[in-house]
Amino acid sequence: MMITPEELAAFADGEVTGAREAEIAAMVDADPELARKVAAHKALKDQLGAHFAPILEQELPENLTAPLKSEAEIVDFQAAKDARTPKAANDDNPAIKRWGRFAGPVLAASLAVAIFLPRGGDGAEDYADVQLAAVLDSQLVAEQGSNADTRILLSFQNDDGEFCRAFSGADASGIACRDTEGWQLRHSGGAGDQQSTEFRQAGNEDADLMAIVQEMAAGPALDQDQEAAAKEKGWQ
Amino acid sequence: MLAILPRLRRFAIGLSGNPADGDDLCQMTIERALTNREKWQEGTRLDSWMYRIMRNIYIDEGRASTRRVQTFVDEEAGLSVGADGGQEAQVELTNVDRAMAKLPEDQREAVLLVMVEGYAYKEAAEIVGCPVGTLNSRLVRGRDALMEILGDGS
Repeated sequence: MMITPEELAAFADGEVTGAREAEIAAMVDADPELARKVAAHKALKDQLGAHFAPILEQELPENLTAPLKSEAEIVDFQAAKDARTPKAANDDNPAIKRWGRFAGPVLAASLAVAIFLPRGGDGAEDYADVQLAAVLDSQLVAEQGSNADTRILLSFQNDDGEFCRAFSGADASGIACRDTEGWQLRHSGGAGDQQSTEFRQAGNEDADLMAIVQEMAAGPALDQDQEAAAKEKGWQ
Repeated sequence: MLAILPRLRRFAIGLSGNPADGDDLCQMTIERALTNREKWQEGTRLDSWMYRIMRNIYIDEGRASTRRVQTFVDEEAGLSVGADGGQEAQVELTNVDRAMAKLPEDQREAVLLVMVEGYAYKEAAEIVGCPVGTLNSRLVRGRDALMEILGDGS
C-alpha cells in the first residue's frame, strides 16, 4: 500500500480521519523512515510556530490600533454600568452572572463587530402599533422561535424602573419601554438582522441597539424567570 | 478586530518577510477592511475574511517590494553574524526568515496559514481561494523546501 507525501503531511497535521488515519498510523509504526518523516513534519511545525509566536506578544504599533480604537464602541454594558455607579462589582455578584449568561453570546459577537457600529438614529416618541405591542407583551426571549418575524433581543429595566425591551425585526428594530399608556418607542432603528439564531452574529443594527441599551439600562438584563415574572405582571 | 490584530500582524510579517513591510501590509488590510466593512457577511468568520483581504493585497501589491525584502533579510543576516550575545538565537531566527523568503508566494502562504496560524486545510484553502488538494500539495512542496534548507528540523 502506498502513501503519498501529501497524505503523510496531512497525517502529521491531523487532517486525515477515519479508517485511513488508522491505516497510515499502522504504516508509520511499521516503517522507521515514515516515522522519521512524520516527526520531521511536526518538528518543522514547532519550529515555525516558535519562530513567529513572539510577534503575538509584541505591543501593537500605534498606526495599526489607532484606526480601530477611534471607531470602537464599548458594548460591555455591565462594565460601563459599573464604571458609572458606585455599586461594587465582583464575580460573585449573581446579577452579573445572570447578565453574562444572558447577554454573553450577543456580547461576544458584538465584540467582533464592535468597530462596525453605525451611529444610532434619533429617539422616537411614538408608541408601538398593535402588532408590535402584542409581540412586546407576550414574546419571551427564551421561548421565541429562531425565525420569529420580530425577535426580542433582551429585556431590562431603565433608571425609572420601567420595563424595556429591545427588539429586532425585518421591518424595524428598536427599544420600547412600557409606561402607563403602552409600549413607548424610545429608539427606532432600521431593519434588524434577520437570520436564524443558528448562524446569528450580532450585526450593525442589533449591535447599535445594544450600545443604546447599555446607556438606558439600570442593571443587568432580565433572566428567563425575571422576564416571565414581568410578563405576568403586565410589564408594569 | 482588535482581538485578531496580533495574529493578522504575525501573518503579515510572515508573508512579507520583515516587520516593517508586514506592518505596512497590516495597515493596508485594516484600511481596506474598514472601507469594505459592509461586505463582511454576518455569520462568517471575521478572521478568515481579513486574512483573505490581506493575502489579496499582498499578491496584488506585494510583488513590487519582494526584491526589497530579499535585500533587507540578507543584510540583517550579515549584521547578526557579528553580533555578540544571543547570537545563536538571532542567527537561527534569521535562517527561518531566509528559508521562508525563498519559498514561492503560494507555498509560503500555505505554510503560514496551516503551520503558523493553525488553520485546517479546508479553511486555509478557502482563504487562498483554491481547492484543498492544491493547498495540500503547495504545503508539502513548501515544507520539503524548508526542511531541505533548515536541515530536516531534527
